[in-house]
Amino acid sequence: MAAEALPGTATHCPYCALQCGLRVTGPRPVVRGDEDFPVNRGALCVKGWNAAATLAHSERLTSPLVRKGGELATATWDEALDTIAARVHEVQSKHGRDAVGVFGSGALTNEKGYLLGKFARVALRTSNIDYNGRFCMSSAATASNLALGIDRGLPFPLADVARTQALMLVGANVAETMPPFMRYVDAMRAEGGALVVVDPRKTPTAQAATLHLRLTPGTDAALANGIVHVLVRDALIDADYIDRRTEGFEEVKALVAGYWPERVERITGVPQAQIVEAAHLLGRARRSMVLTARGAEQQSQGVNNTLAFVNVALALGQVGREGGGYGCITGQGNGQGGREHGQKADQLPGYRKIDDPEARRHVASVWGVDEDALPRAGKSAYEMLSSLGDDVRALFVVGSNVLVSTPNAKLIAQKLRALDFLVVADFFLSETAALADVVLPTAQWAEEDGTMTNLEGRVIRRTRAIDAPAGVRTDLEVICAIAARLGYGDFFASSDARQVFDELRRATAGGPADYAGITYERIDAERGVFWPCPREDHPGTPRLFAERFPTKSGRARFHAVAHRAPAEEPDADYPLYLTTGRVLAQYQSGTQTRRVPELTAIAPVAIAQLHPTTARRHGIAHGDAVTVSTRRGDARFTASVAATIREDTVFVPFHWGGAQSANRLTIGALDPTSKMPEFKVCAARIQRSAPNAEADGERK
Amino acid sequence: MKKERLVVVGNGMAGARLVEEVLARGGRDRFDIVMFGDEPYGNYNRILLSNVLAGAHDAKDIFLNPLAWYEQNGITLHTNARVHGIDRRAKVVHAADDAILEGYDHLVIATGSNAFVPPLERAYVDEGKFREGVFVFRTLDDTNAILDYASKVKSAAVLGGGLLGLEAARGLLRLGLEVHVVHLMKHLMEVQLDRMAGLILRRSMEQMGLRVHLEKVTAGVIGEPNVQGLLFADGSTLDCEMLVVSAGIRPNAQLAIDAGLEVERGIVVGDDMRTSDDAIFAVGECAQHRGKTYGLVAPLWDQVRVLAERLTMTKPDATYTGSQVSTKLKVMGVDLAVMGARDADGDDEEVVYSEPSRGVYKKLVVRNGKLAGAILLGDATMAPNLLQAFDRGRDLPADRSELLFALSSEASGASVLDMPDDAQICNCNGVTKGRIVQAVRGGCRSLKVLCDSTRAGTGCGTCKKDVQAILELVAGDTVKEDPSVHHYVPGVPLAKPELVRAIRERGLRSVSSVFAALAGGVEDAPSKPGLASLLKTIWGKDYDDERDARFINDRVHANIQKDGTFSVIPRIYGGVTTAAELRRIADVAEKHHARMVKITGGQRIDLLGIPKERLPEVWRDLGMPSGHAYAKSFRTCKTCVGSEFCRWGVGDSTGLGIEIEKRFQGLESPHKMKLATAGCPRNCSEATTKDVGAVAIEGGKWEVYVGGAAGSRVRKGDVLCVVDSHDDVLKYFGRFMQYYRENAKYLERTYDFVERTGIEKVKRVLVDDEDGICARLDAAVQEAVDAYVDPWREADWPATQNQFAESLAPAADDLVPLRRASGDG
Repeated sequence: MAAEALPGTATHCPYCALQCGLRVTGPRPVVRGDEDFPVNRGALCVKGWNAAATLAHSERLTSPLVRKGGELATATWDEALDTIAARVHEVQSKHGRDAVGVFGSGALTNEKGYLLGKFARVALRTSNIDYNGRFCMSSAATASNLALGIDRGLPFPLADVARTQALMLVGANVAETMPPFMRYVDAMRAEGGALVVVDPRKTPTAQAATLHLRLTPGTDAALANGIVHVLVRDALIDADYIDRRTEGFEEVKALVAGYWPERVERITGVPQAQIVEAAHLLGRARRSMVLTARGAEQQSQGVNNTLAFVNVALALGQVGREGGGYGCITGQGNGQGGREHGQKADQLPGYRKIDDPEARRHVASVWGVDEDALPRAGKSAYEMLSSLGDDVRALFVVGSNVLVSTPNAKLIAQKLRALDFLVVADFFLSETAALADVVLPTAQWAEEDGTMTNLEGRVIRRTRAIDAPAGVRTDLEVICAIAARLGYGDFFASSDARQVFDELRRATAGGPADYAGITYERIDAERGVFWPCPREDHPGTPRLFAERFPTKSGRARFHAVAHRAPAEEPDADYPLYLTTGRVLAQYQSGTQTRRVPELTAIAPVAIAQLHPTTARRHGIAHGDAVTVSTRRGDARFTASVAATIREDTVFVPFHWGGAQSANRLTIGALDPTSKMPEFKVCAARIQRSAPNAEADGERK
Repeated sequence: MKKERLVVVGNGMAGARLVEEVLARGGRDRFDIVMFGDEPYGNYNRILLSNVLAGAHDAKDIFLNPLAWYEQNGITLHTNARVHGIDRRAKVVHAADDAILEGYDHLVIATGSNAFVPPLERAYVDEGKFREGVFVFRTLDDTNAILDYASKVKSAAVLGGGLLGLEAARGLLRLGLEVHVVHLMKHLMEVQLDRMAGLILRRSMEQMGLRVHLEKVTAGVIGEPNVQGLLFADGSTLDCEMLVVSAGIRPNAQLAIDAGLEVERGIVVGDDMRTSDDAIFAVGECAQHRGKTYGLVAPLWDQVRVLAERLTMTKPDATYTGSQVSTKLKVMGVDLAVMGARDADGDDEEVVYSEPSRGVYKKLVVRNGKLAGAILLGDATMAPNLLQAFDRGRDLPADRSELLFALSSEASGASVLDMPDDAQICNCNGVTKGRIVQAVRGGCRSLKVLCDSTRAGTGCGTCKKDVQAILELVAGDTVKEDPSVHHYVPGVPLAKPELVRAIRERGLRSVSSVFAALAGGVEDAPSKPGLASLLKTIWGKDYDDERDARFINDRVHANIQKDGTFSVIPRIYGGVTTAAELRRIADVAEKHHARMVKITGGQRIDLLGIPKERLPEVWRDLGMPSGHAYAKSFRTCKTCVGSEFCRWGVGDSTGLGIEIEKRFQGLESPHKMKLATAGCPRNCSEATTKDVGAVAIEGGKWEVYVGGAAGSRVRKGDVLCVVDSHDDVLKYFGRFMQYYRENAKYLERTYDFVERTGIEKVKRVLVDDEDGICARLDAAVQEAVDAYVDPWREADWPATQNQFAESLAPAADDLVPLRRASGDG
């Protein structure tokens, strides 16, 4: 195999869901792109190139910390673990088992996510476990399950993107959030394909588009309905496909008769000619593709918005066709695997539902516990966090910086402080860890083994390349150690990744996300295996839906979803839309990237992007210190004035904590089904900051 | 809880929408809902009737609520049932001549409006029955009747130059009728437009073919029994075979009047949408609120939302305080958006931009710093912005021009060379121009080393060309090319001369055998087309053709278009054709529904919009050889008329061009080759800016030019030599093309190749035979010419079973695309 010829250990980037292949060499680790890994073929963005910078970092935690007399102080592992066991026991005996919550992460390996879910159900026996993927993938997941019967981000390999002829990206800024993705888009364009980008901002992705639909925040479903209206009007739907492979189109057709272009223009602010052009680009291409991301999904109408765009792909007859279809672009590194193995409040491994008796029986037998002992569905992420101090009195946080990443951050800070007991496992003292009673130092990506599942549903291997610093344990070791202290050591006998994976394979067998046939050896030999893969002699499933949909009827389901306004709209007091998102050189809550000098040099401070006209009206110049306010709080930014944003909208990135925290501004409104918070729309106002106002809480 | 009875009279845009809104607020648990509709259908979108009339929308696709919807939602719908009375004391409505009685707790009147028909002599044959050929335009039945009648006549008049009248007129025009618009007022759409806008709109409509008659009072209809014309009050007449009356609407309030409710122009309602009877509400076009009636859908929907909130008690104190109106004219080809006030009033500020020659007129009415009204005619690109400013009462920018014109500041367009040092070149890796410059100064002298060192271009890859430009700027002549830059294709680590030698020595005749022998067996998809081209050049007919090595264009011998269809260009030697050939091309274009037939820049005819699976049949029907307009090969030889006809011609450029094209057609090359011959130095066929060109000069001589370009860059070709005969032109053309084929990098055009090699060197090799290879070059090109086979013969002998099948054959999943040179035009 050619892989042997390349130097270093083959593993994957610790950041986004593209999971670019990396090679790590040397004792002082150096990172290069892995030219052998098919997804990125050696390409990396600045985050990947600098992935090693967090490993031997001076701020790395190398010893447990326990709060003594109000201050966090170093402690031995025994001391920390004893404290945890004692306090958990105390809280649970006083307030019941559900009073202890667990908060996981889409950054954890499949093995960790799986073991954490088992830990909650078996060792803590609490129903309250959820994870930060709730803030990321839950709307798309719900929509995909409803419409297509399964939730695998891309139901086809990324290479299909290069082969389509018209690609619509909805609320996806891949040029900044996963740059090597653009190579596929460029290849598609080079073959004459068209790129349509739906985004309130003219992002670098939108700048590369054939057509940019600059919609008003919160109007995604109206736009999608308008596009289907034009497809129907101009006979560009695939009637034969709709007839053979779908159900529910008549309702959608009747609904979209009320979304004629002039009306949709008025709702969305997208010129009607562009709505028509978008429909024509998609409808006249032989192969076309619709991909959604957080822009449309992180709204209180997120599920509906996504369903409305799935309708577009279904009406075009593309879902299940090679080189076309619908997909969602997963965000976090293991955002896909993280939502499959039981970190979700309502879920058991293998994407099983926790209220399904069959699923409970199977998983209980693999775990060797009584089926009735398994808890039922618990609170979703935001619901759990906003109940801290009341229902949930003690909380485990693993691999997540909830204080920065949760909407309405000021409220969440109060809630975290109201806890009886907080444990955080992380490798840096994040904003959340700083509030903890016990902090456990854990290993990082290059120091551990495991598997990740990338945005294509390709299960890949994270391989240990270097030793973790002394004093640090892997998350798997930590989970097993705590379980042992709680008296459940027998159920958590091994912290070896491969052995945990083998158990995961058994637990997922027969479920929708079936990993039973995937082995470490196969992953290495095949450069990843696509789930579902029920048997070792099964080739894996790069493409879904060719024959049928895994729904009850075998058909895909249209959903008639009307446009509904976001929870909060601009008014006289808060006249602007506020939308949030990512910038290229930072990642998520910034716990990792804000500690990398190469990255902070590029993106040193949180900016607030606004239109020149809006800036003039408020007397703001480029580079000014500004304060953005909403009904929930204020935050301070540096103005970035650019005509690439709508006049009625301000954009702020969410990678910073303290006074620069975007989530002090966002609203806690949730989608009724997915419980996704509305990160992407709320009402705000902006003004120049008073010159002597002081930034508080900013990390040094 | 016992359910209350909610009765809705009217199943149109307001009535049905009200019920939807009530249901969306849990109304099904609260009410038994009964609806009455005049028409036999469910509810359809009346807004789209002008689309139906214009043939743009199928009538069956405009239904918002099919009959099944009522049933699914437990609604009793009486279709075809006219309500003729309300017994307010007993709270019962009477319908269908008392055949239907329905009691109510809450009654909603949503009877909409009727078409207003001015008094016209002889318009009716009976009480309420129009003469044949006279129509109103309100309902789906009206629309179908108009469509049906219009198919039998040749001319029509529309009475009324308002919004709906113009949309109707445009629809009739599309049906092929001669259409007149007769309007009472001094300009069109006077309700929404000021005089200037009306004048410009008139001209735009006339340019479309409508005939507009203003300030005409129509007195009556001429013709017996059918309409034959109109008679005006001034005694003049107009011939027309049908009349569509679209002179406005009148609220349909008769039911309310009969029931003794307060009615002025419409049924009077308060902010709670209640009539003078507490149990009866009115919404939509039949209602009059604060003295206003509305004829547009948005206000109607605002009203029903308020009423639904009150009825369901979800917001029992909701109030309706009036709507701001805006509308757009749905006429293809004329952009018109209007909103709010038509003219300034008192202290209002009026901002006007007028450009009648382009049909553009923009006007804003600004009141207290907010938008009170706007007219956008001819250019509605800013309409969404203005609409939102208007709808939301946004503060306007001090510089009002920002509202009228799109900001151009988005376009950067600045050359990378002019950018400041702190400009970011590589976004993925945050690399500034300054850092790249520094790296070059620090010794990075090749693109690969520079990219590796700075990491620019290692993410999405888009900025590589900018990095190269900076490298060249800073390093100047000291740019060192790294070895891989010289590789003919990225997947095989050899420069072209070594690669050619290895292929010849080892007898490698297929792309896969090259990978096997020279690249360790690793196939690199992006390298395949380049290798295929080279192998064809080297081996001619002995080349072992593997289809998967080709671009889609080369697989199916046609040029893929952005919508996935193909363009077909048959060869027309020297641009000279015959009437019979043209006729045949025309027949083929019609038979296969070519979406566009275009004369190309290369003097031939392009049939666009052909689906892949039809290609073989198109070629068969044409019976002409391929023009190779899709390939990296000899394309065409453009000619001027030459000495045979032209008064200035000194050489037979047409004859020469035909000879050239017949000889070199289909010759594969690293990139496309476009040729031309000119009959005199006036150069009408632009031969001096072609890849290879010949220009006739006095004395029967020809100048041979090579390396010209008139594409994304323009370069005058270099004179290779001056010769005396057609044969010599052919000889030097062939020799140069073979030299280029053998030595250019894949996708290197002749102008880059000539510049890279240097014209003096090219002359020494090809004219002075410095390297002693001229004889071999001549023989090689002859061999290639002999190997020519018209690829369109694959129409009858497909190379693979699904060569022209609709879907792509499965490709390698893990193919990671590299940035390629763009396709050829």
